[in-house]
Amino acid sequence: MPASIRTPLIVAVALVVCMAGALAHAQGKPTPADTTKQVVAAAQAVVATLDAAGKTKVQFPFGGPQRTRWSNLPSPMFERQGLKLGDLTPPQREAVTKLLTVAFSGSGYKKVTEIMHGDEVLRQRGGGAGRGPAFGENEYYLAFVGTPSTTTPWTLQFGGHHLAINLTMGGSQATLAPSHTAAQPATYTVEGRTVRPLGAENDKAFALINALDATQRGQAILNYRIADLVLGPREDGKTIQPEGAKVSTFNASQQTMLLEIVREWTGIMNDAYADARMAEIKADLPQTFFAWSGPTTAGSAAYFRIQGPTLVIEYAPQNGVDHIHTIYRDPTNDYGTKFTRK
Amino acid sequence: MTTARSSRASKRALLALLAAIAVAGGTRVSAHRLDELLQAARIAIEPDRVELEMSLTPGTAVADDLIRQIDADGNGAFSGAEKQAYVDRTLSALVLRVDEGPRLPMAMASASVPDAAAMRTGDGVIVLRAVAMASSLSAGSHRLFFRNEHAPANSVYLANALVPESDQVAVTKQDRDGDQRELTITFAINGAPASTSRWVWIGLAGTLLATALLSRRRHAGHEQVARATSSG
Repeated sequence: MPASIRTPLIVAVALVVCMAGALAHAQGKPTPADTTKQVVAAAQAVVATLDAAGKTKVQFPFGGPQRTRWSNLPSPMFERQGLKLGDLTPPQREAVTKLLTVAFSGSGYKKVTEIMHGDEVLRQRGGGAGRGPAFGENEYYLAFVGTPSTTTPWTLQFGGHHLAINLTMGGSQATLAPSHTAAQPATYTVEGRTVRPLGAENDKAFALINALDATQRGQAILNYRIADLVLGPREDGKTIQPEGAKVSTFNASQQTMLLEIVREWTGIMNDAYADARMAEIKADLPQTFFAWSGPTTAGSAAYFRIQGPTLVIEYAPQNGVDHIHTIYRDPTNDYGTKFTRK
Repeated sequence: MTTARSSRASKRALLALLAAIAVAGGTRVSAHRLDELLQAARIAIEPDRVELEMSLTPGTAVADDLIRQIDADGNGAFSGAEKQAYVDRTLSALVLRVDEGPRLPMAMASASVPDAAAMRTGDGVIVLRAVAMASSLSAGSHRLFFRNEHAPANSVYLANALVPESDQVAVTKQDRDGDQRELTITFAINGAPASTSRWVWIGLAGTLLATALLSRRRHAGHEQVARATSSG
């Protein structure tokens, strides 16, 4: 991005974040800075349960290679580092759960745990039996990249098969980019209840594509197959040319529907962080695009992408509707690069 | 160091073996892309060149086919020459043309080929970066045609234009065939010799230079005045 555009953009974003913080404070809601304090306290509580070896396992330097190490693949096809949930004692696991519930929103925590439980279902169906890839709820890892701090940037990394959450906090600012959510099976039942970890993303997107008029749909629907994520794991630092329908042509209701789709990703973060981020994304709507590849009948396998100046979201079914990969990025702030820029 | 490296190599080989057992034994290693080679092309157009980055990710079920293609002597390890030969073959299957002109020659900028064990686990990605010079592009609209003819039997494709770094280039349209083996990028070259930000820097440098010259003159004037008063 040219410097002539970047500088005013950074100033505008800072203003939006400050205004969101001030508004939250005035309304008595926790501000992003309050939330960071709570997350840091919860992270320190996790560390307090660990012995020396555990402390070494969980902590990584902010500028080191762990910052960008994540994958969609199960272990050990991809070798993860950090604290493995399956190795933790009950008090340690309880401290990790508390941390995740503070860092994530209620719906975000639910989504993350449903993805993990989907992997447990995969394990129980016989996936990874024997000495093959390891599936299940115990195969998720926690790492702190940088020392948990209320002022200097650090990243809470939590992930495993089909999940890579990179929540970077820098005082009163936070970014979830890049983060990967996925699901297989995409639908399963628990005690007679149907669970679809990424069902809301899917259903809201189908509702939007079918709410567009013929002209808008003609612009949004791409005439080629997109078989996978374009900006998935390993594809850091790339900005693809946007395609599809301009969101500036959407009416207010359609724009609201699009923002509700976006919130399925940003809303994984604690609401205080997510509200500030959504204000930024809303301000960028005139420069945002919505693209679709595949059928528009609900229940079909279709790819979609939402791309704006500070946002890329991709939702990519993998050869059918029961296996989904998604990615959430901010090309201007993946891994919190804005928080460390001098 | 050698011990650590050989220990890592053994671990990787074991992981590869486990993945192979899982596939051979019918255990569905999730439904990750098992029987396809994912070929993703990213194309960056700059005023004087076209940069092409390709990543090739073999599914675990097709990894052995790819390994056989690279490992010409079948000894289980990729030599530098074997890697180079594969990379050259891949590059020769990629076609770039500007404005329906002749095929643009591409020079390899870098290439990385993981070892066979990493490919068998599904975590091995081959990455090639190549550059084609296009210095004769005039201001106005142009079309860049890309076609990927590498390993068509079991591949799926992605092809995308990147947002140009230079504000002298603007991508205006992308057209693809149904499976993304072909991509035509329509783009415009702006004739301005320097970008806006460059003009800002030139202006700033000019202002600083003028300020320095004026200050020097003033300083010289003060010195002349000082000399005149002291000599008087």
